[in-house]
Amino acid sequence: MSTYQSPGAGPVVFDPATLPPDDKVNDYTFCVELKGSQWFLQKGKMIAYYGSIDFNGVGHGRLDRLVRTSFHSPLHASDWVVAEGSGKMLLADRAFDVNSYDLTEGNLTIRSGNLLAFQPTLSLKQSIVPGFLTLIGTGKFVAASNGPVVFMDPPIRVDPQALVGWADCPSPCHHYDHGYMTGVMGGLRALTGLGGASGEEHQFEFVGAGTVLLQSSETLMAEQATGAVPHQAGVPGGGAHGPQAGQSGVPRLPGQLGDLQRRFGL
Amino acid sequence: MAFREINAKMIEATVTPGQRLFSQRGAMLAYRGEVSFTPSTAGGQGGIMSMIGRRVADEDTPLMTVEGSGTVLFGHGGHHIQVIRLTGDTLYVEADRLLAFEGSLQQGTMFLGSQGGVMGMVRGQVSGQGLFTTTLKGQGAVAVMAHGGVIEIPITPQRPVHVDPQAYVAHHGDVRNKLSTALGWRDMVGRGSGEAFQLELSGSGAVYVQASEEKL
Repeated sequence: MSTYQSPGAGPVVFDPATLPPDDKVNDYTFCVELKGSQWFLQKGKMIAYYGSIDFNGVGHGRLDRLVRTSFHSPLHASDWVVAEGSGKMLLADRAFDVNSYDLTEGNLTIRSGNLLAFQPTLSLKQSIVPGFLTLIGTGKFVAASNGPVVFMDPPIRVDPQALVGWADCPSPCHHYDHGYMTGVMGGLRALTGLGGASGEEHQFEFVGAGTVLLQSSETLMAEQATGAVPHQAGVPGGGAHGPQAGQSGVPRLPGQLGDLQRRFGL
Repeated sequence: MAFREINAKMIEATVTPGQRLFSQRGAMLAYRGEVSFTPSTAGGQGGIMSMIGRRVADEDTPLMTVEGSGTVLFGHGGHHIQVIRLTGDTLYVEADRLLAFEGSLQQGTMFLGSQGGVMGMVRGQVSGQGLFTTTLKGQGAVAVMAHGGVIEIPITPQRPVHVDPQAYVAHHGDVRNKLSTALGWRDMVGRGSGEAFQLELSGSGAVYVQASEEKL
C-alpha cells in the first residue's frame, strides 16, 4: 500500500477500519491490531493508537504471569512495556524501515535496539552475545533497521555494526584479520600507526545453516532512552523546544527598544 | 559489472583476482569468499606525488584496497548510494562522497580555480567542495554516497541546469560550471529567499543531485 496514489491525489487517509491489521502501513510504520490480546513493545515506539489500550511496564504486578512465560531478560525489563486492550496501534522508530517477521517454532537473535515489539507467544531471552536478544517460539515480531534488511546465507563475514541478527542458529564467532599486520608495510603501520587501519580487521563470522540479517548501513540505532515524557521536543513543558525565533543570527539591540527588531521582522 | 545495487543504501561488489577495488575505510558491511582489505596509505592511486597532492588538496579520504575473490557488500552511514558507470569521461566528486570505485579508474585531483579562476574558488567554498575536488576518469563504476535519494539530471548544450550548491553531489562529462548569484538587498537584511547561490552547469553530461541540503 503506497502512501500516495498518484501525484496530486494527496495522502491516503486511514481510519480505524482501513488501517491494515498486523501489517505495514508504509515502510516506516507498522500497525498492530489488539483484540483483548497483548503485545510487548519497547518503550517509546508507539506513535499513535485507536481504541482503548493500556500500557504497563513489564514490572507491573498484574502482568506477572505473562512476564514469567515470555519475558526472560531482567536487563531489558525497564525498556519494555506491555500493551493490552482492543484497538489498533502504530509503531515506528525514528524513520527507520520496519518489518514484521513470523516465527514458527523457530529462533531468531536480534540486536536489542532493533526489536520494536513482539507477541507474547514468543519468548524473549538474552543472547549469549552481549547486546542481542533471542526470540524463541511461534509468533510475530516487529523490527526496525536502518535501510531495508538484507538476508544472507552463511558462510559470510559481517561488519559488527551492520549486523541486525541471525536466525536458525548459524554459529557466530569473531574473525580477526591479521593480514594487515604482516609484511613490511603492515609492520610499519602497526608500529607507527601511519596509514591507519582499514577499519575492517574485525568481523562477525557466520558458518553453518541459517540466515543472517544485515542492515544496509553502519550507523547503529542509538539505544537511547525513549519514552520519557519530560525533556522532549514537542511536549509542552518538556524542556526542549524548537529553535527560538530571534535567537538565530541577529543580536538583540540593547534595551530591546520595545523589541523593534521583532516588529521589523528581523 | 563490479557493482550491483541491492537496495537504495547497499551495493554488492564482485571482486575477482587481478581486479582490485578502492573503497572508503570502514564501509564494508559483509563479505563472502577470500577478500582482503588493506589500508591504502597513499589514499588511492598513483605514486607518492599523487598522495602528497591529495594531502595538500585535503582530498585524501581514508581509502582501502579490496582484493581477492568473492563478493563484498558496501554501505556507509545510512547514506543513499548511487552507482555511476563511466565510459571514458571524467567524474568530478568530493573525495568523502566516494564509497567505492573500480581500480580501472584513474584518480586525480583538480584545482577548482583552474575552472573560472577566483569565481571557481568561491564556487568551491559555497558548494562545500573546497578548493580542490577529486576526479575519476576512465572505464568503470563508481559508488557515490548522498544524503537522501539521488537523481541524475542530463545536461545538454541547449539546456543548462541550475543546482543548489548544497544539493550538488557530482557531475560528469564535458561540463562547465559557474556560480550564479542572485544576491539582493533582501539577503543583506536576512530576508532572502535562501537561494542566493546557484550552480549553473552547462555543456553536455549529467549532474547528480541529492534530495537533501544536508552535507555528508
